[in-house]
Amino acid sequence: MTDAEEFLLYEGCMIGQRLPYLEKSARLVFEKLELKPKDAAFGCCPDPIGIQCSDYTSWLSLGARNLTLAEAEGKDIVSLCNGCTQTLTVVNHELKHSESKRNKINRILKEVGREFKGSINVSHFLTYLLEEVGVEAIKAKITKPLTGLKVACHTGCHYMRPVEIMQSEEDHENPQNLRKVVAATGATIIDYEEEHLCCGYAIMNAEEDVSLRRLQKKLDSAINAGAEIFCVICPSCFSQMDFNQRSLKKKFEKDYDIPIFYLTELLALAMGYTYDEIELKMHSQKPKLIKERFEGGAA
Amino acid sequence: MFVPNYEVKKQIIDLHMGEKVHYCYQCGRCTDICPVSELEPERYDPRTLVMQGLLGLSHMILQPDKQFNLWGCQTCDLCDEICPNDIVLTDIFTILKNQSMRMGLAPEAYISQAKMVMETGQAIPLQDAIARRRDKMGLPLIPKPNVKEIQKILKATGFDKKIGYEEPKEEKK
Ligand code: SF4
Ligand code: SF4
Repeated sequence: MTDAEEFLLYEGCMIGQRLPYLEKSARLVFEKLELKPKDAAFGCCPDPIGIQCSDYTSWLSLGARNLTLAEAEGKDIVSLCNGCTQTLTVVNHELKHSESKRNKINRILKEVGREFKGSINVSHFLTYLLEEVGVEAIKAKITKPLTGLKVACHTGCHYMRPVEIMQSEEDHENPQNLRKVVAATGATIIDYEEEHLCCGYAIMNAEEDVSLRRLQKKLDSAINAGAEIFCVICPSCFSQMDFNQRSLKKKFEKDYDIPIFYLTELLALAMGYTYDEIELKMHSQKPKLIKERFEGGAA
Repeated sequence: MFVPNYEVKKQIIDLHMGEKVHYCYQCGRCTDICPVSELEPERYDPRTLVMQGLLGLSHMILQPDKQFNLWGCQTCDLCDEICPNDIVLTDIFTILKNQSMRMGLAPEAYISQAKMVMETGQAIPLQDAIARRRDKMGLPLIPKPNVKEIQKILKATGFDKKIGYEEPKEEKK
């Protein structure tokens, strides 16, 4: 299995084209773990909420098109985004299991000379870490453990549901996968009541007010339980939780300043990279505590 | 007298016609678990949506001044997991939202995202500033998607018409 480590990276447009510093940390982690991802000219995944809600058939068709790109290379897809992971996994599942859907979509894809075959798999990088790399191999690369850092894990809805299709071996009401990897960094994981609940990003397009109230509940629940930072695995959750703390301040006249980390940022730090090297200054809520506590200086 | 929308009714019932027919018995567990209903109980209620949908009463759902009663769903899929009768609520809501989109009743942000995908092949196209930042960070160039091909697919599915997209007029060089 010499090829086993080669997968097609699906960083998604949110990470690649809005939050490139998250991708930076991911690529550093790939290097440390000796993973060799390959890039491909994927299009929009497309958004499991926005585009599926706009037109289901178009959503299936564009998702299937991306899958055919990977099929042509004979490589599985690994994504850094919950949304992309869910779209590509669900489309793959639907078309593999329903002949009528597959035929319908293949008639459309034929116009551009493509055909969905159902020959590859899709996973989120978190799942890939657990299933292909393994916690022990991650631990072996940790040189700067994040001892004492109190982390609230936020897995996000679209990584784990619908359970039957996402097959992440995850208990969606008591998610464990992210906890296992974060624990490998030496950080302390705290329990909080709202762990399995939504960050509110997905209601933003319908109504900002409800979205912010959802976010506030999520943040309060973890902060009250003693969390110093959040760890997330989705760029949409990241942007909702990081950028919109400012909106919360305005709206509720209450200060929020809890740093949000994308998983590979935490891993990169624990593997020896610094605040500056992974450009943590790009965050809206600056994670100064990293400099103060682990790099012996003020930010 | 309202006439049920039999087409919507059929699509929704078809979703749940496997080995056995699943029919919602209005137990309300979906609404109990819904994090949006928790915040907006008066304005968003999945249990009622399922009932109206299954009866084909789409005119009660698809109202211009009441977008939130449908689009308030954030597709977190919690209700799908808890329903004791295996109703896939979010699939029902997809049918209804697709209908709402075709009628031009979707929230503006959804419409503009759909138009962006139609126009550029992506929800978030690459801006020059980000391209420069990537370069500075030592990140590789992002391979460009084949936008023409994506647009061809979207025309074949009628996406442009469904979202009310008008092609930009050719600019004179
Ligand atoms: S949980 Fe299922 S059966 Fe109960 S009201 Fe909701 S959709 Fe109907
Ligand atoms: S999927 Fe929609 S209706 Fe169901 S629990 Fe989530 S927000 Fe509520």
